[in-house]
Amino acid sequence: MPDDLKKRVKELIVRQLKLEMDPAAIADEAPLFGEGDGGLGLDSIDALELVLGVEKEFGIKVQDEEVGVKAFASVNALCDFVRAKAA
Amino acid sequence: MDVQPLPHAFPFRFADGVVERTGPAQGRVRATVTADAAAVRATGFPAAALAELVAQSALLLAGGDAALSRKGFLAGLSDFSVERLPEPGDVLLVDVTLAGRLGDAVKFEGVVTDGDGGAVARGAVTVKQGT
Repeated sequence: MPDDLKKRVKELIVRQLKLEMDPAAIADEAPLFGEGDGGLGLDSIDALELVLGVEKEFGIKVQDEEVGVKAFASVNALCDFVRAKAA
Repeated sequence: MDVQPLPHAFPFRFADGVVERTGPAQGRVRATVTADAAAVRATGFPAAALAELVAQSALLLAGGDAALSRKGFLAGLSDFSVERLPEPGDVLLVDVTLAGRLGDAVKFEGVVTDGDGGAVARGAVTVKQGT
């Protein structure tokens, strides 16, 4: 089911942040924050929106210190984080 | 009634004071619309000022203190809608609830009503706390 989770996470990112792009266009390893290679360039306000969306979508609680380290570094990292939290 | 001034000077201070606290960073704030405030724009009380009012109310409930200078600023809006623009003499009530927090970014849901309970505006504001 991992691909389903990636698809769900990408759709969540686009929906929650009101991005005008195809969710499938988000690369699995692209950095979500900053302007890195292929990154989405999200900022701290986007981070809060994303955290609220993840909490609602997956029924998990995200702590401050978990964001910006590696949990929200990319789609793959976020999927790993969701799996670990849901386990 | 606990009336605390905000560190916002005329003509950009809209929230008068806290009417009721219902939890950490949430409760009800009062705002009297004066003719001077309405004169911020020649066309009357600007719709954008209602979002600023919700942000000021949220920061006031979150511990805004005039003695400590500015405590935050409006950084984002979402799903914010305005039913009607206030007029001088209106006494508005702003009900604020905490939606979420991440570091110094805090999101609040706000509902603005008039003295008769009529809808004025509602929506979410995100503020960045700090100077």
